[in-house]
Amino acid sequence: MTRDVLRKLNYELDYDIYVEYDDGNDIEGRLVLLDKPTSKPGLWHCSICTNENDQSLLSCDTCGVFRDSTAIFDNDSGEKANGKSNNSRASVMARSLFALSPHWLPKPAIIPDIFLAKEAAKSHEKGCIEARFSDLHKIFTSPQRNHSINIAPFQFDTPSPDDIVSAGKSAARNFPKVPLGSTKASSNIIGKKEIVNLLPDNEISNSSSASSSKDNHIDVRESSNSRDHGDAPQIIADDLHRLKLDKKSNNNKSKKAHRNVQYKPEKWMLSDQEEGTLSQLNLAVVGHVDSGKSTLCGRILQLLGRISKKQMHKYEKEAKEKGKGSFAYSWAMDESAEERERGITMTVAVAYFDSKIFRVVLLDSPGHKDFVPNMISGATQADAAILVVDASVGSFEAGMGGHNVGQTKEHAQLIRSFGVEQIIVAVNKMDLVDFSKERFDFIKLQLGHFLRSCGFKESSVVWIPLSAMENQNLVATASDVRLSSWYQGCCLLDAIDSLKPPHRDVSKPLILPICDVVASHSLGQVAVCGKLEFGALRASSKVLVMPSGDIATVRTIERDYCSCSIAKAGDNVAVSLQGIDGGHVMPGGVLCHPDFPVTVASSLELKVLVLDVVTPILVGSQVEIHIHHAKEAARVTKILSLLDQKTGKVSRNAPRILTARQSAIIVVALDGAVCVEEFSVCRALGRAFLRASGSTIAVGIVTRVLELES
Amino acid sequence: MKLVRRDLVSNGPGSVKVVPEEDDDMWHAYNLICVGDSVLAVTVRKVLREMASGGRDAERVKLKLEIKVESVDYDKEGSVLRIRGKNILENEHVKIGQFHTLEIEPHRPFVLRKDIWDSMALDVLQQACDPSASADLAVILMQEGLAHLFLIGKSITTTRSRIETSIPRKHGPAIAGYESALKKFFENVLQALLKHIDFKVVRCVVIASPGFTKDQFRDYLLLEAERRQLRSIIENKSRLILAHSTSGYKHSLKEVLDAPSVMNLIKDTKAAQEVRALKDFFSMLSNDAARACYGPKHVEVAHERMAIQTLLITDSLFKNSDISTRQKYVKLVDSVKDSGGTVHVFSSMHVSGDQLAQLTGIAAILRFPLPDLEDIEM
Ligand SMILES: Nc1nc2c(ncn2[C@@H]2O[C@H](COP(=O)(O)OP(=O)(O)OP(=O)(O)O)[C@@H](O)[C@H]2O)c(=O)[nH]1
Ligand SMILES: [Mg+2]
Repeated sequence: MTRDVLRKLNYELDYDIYVEYDDGNDIEGRLVLLDKPTSKPGLWHCSICTNENDQSLLSCDTCGVFRDSTAIFDNDSGEKANGKSNNSRASVMARSLFALSPHWLPKPAIIPDIFLAKEAAKSHEKGCIEARFSDLHKIFTSPQRNHSINIAPFQFDTPSPDDIVSAGKSAARNFPKVPLGSTKASSNIIGKKEIVNLLPDNEISNSSSASSSKDNHIDVRESSNSRDHGDAPQIIADDLHRLKLDKKSNNNKSKKAHRNVQYKPEKWMLSDQEEGTLSQLNLAVVGHVDSGKSTLCGRILQLLGRISKKQMHKYEKEAKEKGKGSFAYSWAMDESAEERERGITMTVAVAYFDSKIFRVVLLDSPGHKDFVPNMISGATQADAAILVVDASVGSFEAGMGGHNVGQTKEHAQLIRSFGVEQIIVAVNKMDLVDFSKERFDFIKLQLGHFLRSCGFKESSVVWIPLSAMENQNLVATASDVRLSSWYQGCCLLDAIDSLKPPHRDVSKPLILPICDVVASHSLGQVAVCGKLEFGALRASSKVLVMPSGDIATVRTIERDYCSCSIAKAGDNVAVSLQGIDGGHVMPGGVLCHPDFPVTVASSLELKVLVLDVVTPILVGSQVEIHIHHAKEAARVTKILSLLDQKTGKVSRNAPRILTARQSAIIVVALDGAVCVEEFSVCRALGRAFLRASGSTIAVGIVTRVLELES
Repeated sequence: MKLVRRDLVSNGPGSVKVVPEEDDDMWHAYNLICVGDSVLAVTVRKVLREMASGGRDAERVKLKLEIKVESVDYDKEGSVLRIRGKNILENEHVKIGQFHTLEIEPHRPFVLRKDIWDSMALDVLQQACDPSASADLAVILMQEGLAHLFLIGKSITTTRSRIETSIPRKHGPAIAGYESALKKFFENVLQALLKHIDFKVVRCVVIASPGFTKDQFRDYLLLEAERRQLRSIIENKSRLILAHSTSGYKHSLKEVLDAPSVMNLIKDTKAAQEVRALKDFFSMLSNDAARACYGPKHVEVAHERMAIQTLLITDSLFKNSDISTRQKYVKLVDSVKDSGGTVHVFSSMHVSGDQLAQLTGIAAILRFPLPDLEDIEM
């Protein structure tokens, strides 16, 4: 459906956060809408290969690039509005922020992703040098960190001519003023730097070899019609020269010099012997306060036999004594005295159960507005999510929040920006609305619109009416005829099993962001909990604990309170450590491979999407920043540029304010350094969430790490 | 600050003799003393003496020196000003032109001589010597695992303590670890409170946090006070106030000061006025963005068009700049006032001033919208 249709149907437009959304094409931020060349009537120009295509085609006949959809909307929105086309688009911003993981990357387009390419090129650099150097560095560099080679999918060989020129022009001005001291600067820079190393140590030869590569480069793009041969080589020479200087002044500072060394996963990491096929699924349960998240979790655990009869009986009795009888099931999740006292979840609780396909790790999040920071730091590790909404009249509406954002909305936005693409919407408390189909449909319509605007694809959202209290549609199909009479879909447990297993990457060096530091009888004094993002671990593995930089040895690993021999990417485990002082292990830190330390920094360049804020963001705005499990006070020190929502191109430099729904490149300075990576290097460590005055004001990704903590 | 003698011409030369009385006054003194002024005070200096035996002996002598100021340092923790410059008062021990560092502390009188007493300097002097209400508030700002203890005076807010404890999530069998970590955290905050808060000085203690941490802490505090018979707390129970904040980070302090229960207590103080002025700026920005601006360039443009209704400026702009920049800002302030506008000079030592300083230190609410500011790069 297009936006126009939605308008006609009189949806509330303020739900439309990301302005454009996608419900047909799962292309990961790859749709680039370029300025359309003037076209003859009845024909349209492909923005990439300039082929003239027939009006009826949505993508270029020759190269498959999507048509500039502003043209589509201008010319025949009526036709599209009738639902003929699925090819509506997400804003480039939304797409890139909420990029699908490559694993789920589907078929349709071989679209050169200039937007991402540019991003990889650090937004400011020359798109064209990229192609050059990535080629060169393939030749020159055998030692290269594995995931640095990420550049490949960006298809540098076909950026638009416009981009090449404009990027080329801006390169001279914008080339990093930051120290590129360490290789943590993204892959592209690594590539360049190595070239610098290889080149003879004088400027002239730099510039000549650079210009020859430029010529070479131009040849590739025979079809480009407008470009600037003249100054380009000089620019590159300058860049290289500067790079070299940067390198000289910074090479002692580099913490991660050995990152260039090729990482080879060890044999045991790749072996598949570990107890069969069940893969772990980190499933966040989110939603507005009191929607029944904890009750739902408790109920599932009870139904699957994870809670003994005796235990359940105890909960019931104690809850009743406290006058909180209805909270008995939620007591399974809300274990602290304070939470039980108030009947409200405060920090994310973790529980485990096995479905047919997954070993599920439930992350029961707090719904209260004040605990959103806890929700973020506890649930960023989610692979998929259950969004629980309260169907009862007034409560659903509260979650959608009339004027200020309710947590149904805030959580959905956050979850999406955690990188979660698949959600199950559990429309709970259906018993209170008499299992009314109308109510369910109403909720589906309202919330569905909002979810799409967040960048969730319609096909990745499953809707289930249920009642946690009355056990309807949880682990078996509904028994109440008021529900079964109109709902024949799957129950919650089946819906969980229908989720696509998340992508796991064991081939990269270990990264385990520390969610929690605990001590227990079985785990000993120092143990960390968290999900492995990359790599694998086993007892006696040596790990580097960042940001302290201490080395520790893995003593034991526990999953679901049972010890296990190895843990791999995607697993949520508790790892007990020895040889380290507990004071040096902090939540928000990262366990990593001793030879591949993560970056620690306190100044970051972010690409952000501003959410529905009332107060604009200014240079100097004070915020709290969340990056995986780390949180820190920070301030916006620069607003570099405003980006066009559709094209992702810079539409204005140094704007004075950022208002709702704008996207921009900003620089933030953190009060303390945190473990962070550029998004292109590690997604989990490269997402950032900004909050102020109790609401999430912007979400985004780390485009550059500006300053090393020395 | 006590004004002992005043002998000056406004916008002309002159001197004052003052005695700083409390910590707060040191900040005023810091803002008052500029490079190029001269300061006369009693000081101690080590001098070498020839002894009868022919040897030499170092001796500390008390003497009066007047120096031409070359730099001023403000030591917030020690509440001391260090003024460095060349001696200009003939003296048997110290030659003219020799360097000396004067230390100014509360209760030590000094004479300040300026070639020009501009309107800013006179304002600071007047404010410093005005004995009226000071906030004298203690705020414990917390979130689970992080707490700050602030003392808020007339023109400075000091961070007396920062407590950070790692608190594990409740975690199945490890739930006891959570509760005990929380206890330990509260105990640390309690100790900081006992150490830094003098109920004879502060009017009340505000405990602020998101969620229920504030309630939990107050319960802990009262329980422990009973158990350990901590008289100062038991007797001042009624002076504990709870307020909501959205985080435990320092910048959330402005929300606390703005909470109705707290605002009522401090409404006449400088801290409160600053909080309100900044809030007005932000609400104008939210409602009609074209009627608010910030940054020297934009404010200047707005001023040229006579658009400034309220000017917000931090004292640091007068302090850190060279003399000509200072004069530029003094002129701006005077001229806004002359054309009927309001001026708030924020103390950069208060939380709102700190925020304003981040926003380049200068901002304005405008009489009429200037939409074309959008097109001028910051
Ligand atoms: N009638 C009815 N009540 C329910 C249902 N599910 C939960 N509740 C009630 O809703 C209230 C809140 O339940 P919780 O599970 O604590 O809600 P929550 O979403 O975990 O709340 P927070 O964690 O504080 O955000 C309790 O009183 C539950 O008994 C349901 O299906 N039907
Ligand atoms: Mg709950």
